[in-house]
Amino acid sequence: MRPMPRDAPLRPASLAGLFLVCLKIGLLSFGGGLSGWLYREFVEQKRWIDADDFTSSLAISQMLPGANVINLVVCMGEQLRGPAGAVAGAFGFLIGPFFAAIGLSVLIDSIANVGPLEAALAGVAAAATGLLIVICWHGVRRASRHLPGLAVVLAVAVTVGVLDWPLMAVVAVAAPVSIALSWNRAGKPDA
Amino acid sequence: MRDDPLLGLVMVFVPFSLISIGGGASIIAGMENQVVTARGWLNAQQFLELFAISRAAPGPGVMLATLVGWKLAGWLGAIVASLALFVPSSLLCYTVFRVSNAHRDKRWHRAMREGLAPVGTGLIIAGVISIFGLMGTWQAGTIAVAAAGVLSFLPRVPTLVIISIGGMASLMIYNF
Repeated sequence: MRPMPRDAPLRPASLAGLFLVCLKIGLLSFGGGLSGWLYREFVEQKRWIDADDFTSSLAISQMLPGANVINLVVCMGEQLRGPAGAVAGAFGFLIGPFFAAIGLSVLIDSIANVGPLEAALAGVAAAATGLLIVICWHGVRRASRHLPGLAVVLAVAVTVGVLDWPLMAVVAVAAPVSIALSWNRAGKPDA
Repeated sequence: MRDDPLLGLVMVFVPFSLISIGGGASIIAGMENQVVTARGWLNAQQFLELFAISRAAPGPGVMLATLVGWKLAGWLGAIVASLALFVPSSLLCYTVFRVSNAHRDKRWHRAMREGLAPVGTGLIIAGVISIFGLMGTWQAGTIAVAAAGVLSFLPRVPTLVIISIGGMASLMIYNF
C-alpha cells in the first residue's frame, strides 16, 4: 500500500480492521522494533492516528508496566473505538504469538536428539540477551544525562540482579524515589 | 487449594504484570526467581529453554509466561498465565491513558515519565545478569555481546537474522 501524504485527513477504523492489522503485526513481530511497525501502519498507511497522538501514547505505554506494544495497542484502540477497540487490538496482537510460542515449544519437545537443539537454543537465548543489552545501553545513556537517574539504574540493577533482593520491594521503593528526583527537572520548561 | 497450579500461576503473574515497568524483559529476573528457585516449577535448563523459545517466536518477550503456564498445566495453564500477565497491566494502561491524556503537559506527568525510565532500565539490566547466571558459559557471553554489537552498528540487519546466527554459532561450537 502507498503511504498517504502526512496531511491527509484521518480515516475511521473498523473493529475488524483494527483486529486484522494487529494480528498481522503480532504474527510477524520477531524480536523488536514493533513501535516502528505500529507507527507505519497506524499513522502513515491507514491514517487512523496522527503522529502527535501516537507519540504521547507511546510515552504512556513505556512508562507503565506491561509489554510496551500491547500498552500502545490498548491506547490506540481506545482512542479509535473505545473499550471494544482496546480489546480487539490487544487480542488481535496476542492471539498469533500465543499459538506460535506453544507450537514451537511442542515442535521442539517432539525432537528426539535434544543435544544439538539445546545448543542451538542456548545460542538463540544468548543472541536475544544481546538485544536486551542494546536496550540497557540506550537506557543507561538516556539516564546518564541526569546523575540521579544513573544512580537509580545502578541501584536497581545491583539490588535485583546481583543481590537478589525481591523485585517487588525494590520497585516499590525505587519508583517513588526516582519520580521525586525528577520533580525539579520536570518543572523546567525545556528539560 | 494451595497446590493448584492455575491458582499458583495467577498468584505469580498478576503481581508481575503490575510491576513489569519497561516491558516483559524487566521481570525475567523475578520470574526466574519464582518459577525456578522459590516454587521449583521448572529447573534452570527448562527455564532457559522456554526463554529461548519465547525470544525465537514472534510476539512480545513476555510470551515466556504463556510457555511457563503451558508446561505447568497445558492449554488452560497457557491461557490463565497469559491473561494473568496481560489483563492487569492492560487495564491499568487503559485507565491511565483515559485519565491522563488531558494532562500530558503537566509537571507530575513529566516527572513520572522521567522518573520511571531509569527504574525500567535497571530492571532490564538485572534480567540480563540473571540470564547470564543461568547460561554461565563464555561462549554464550560472546554470542550475546557480538549480537549487541551487530545490532548497534548495523541497525538494518533484521532481528530474526541475528537470532538465527546466534543459534547456528552455538550449534557449531557444540559440534566442534
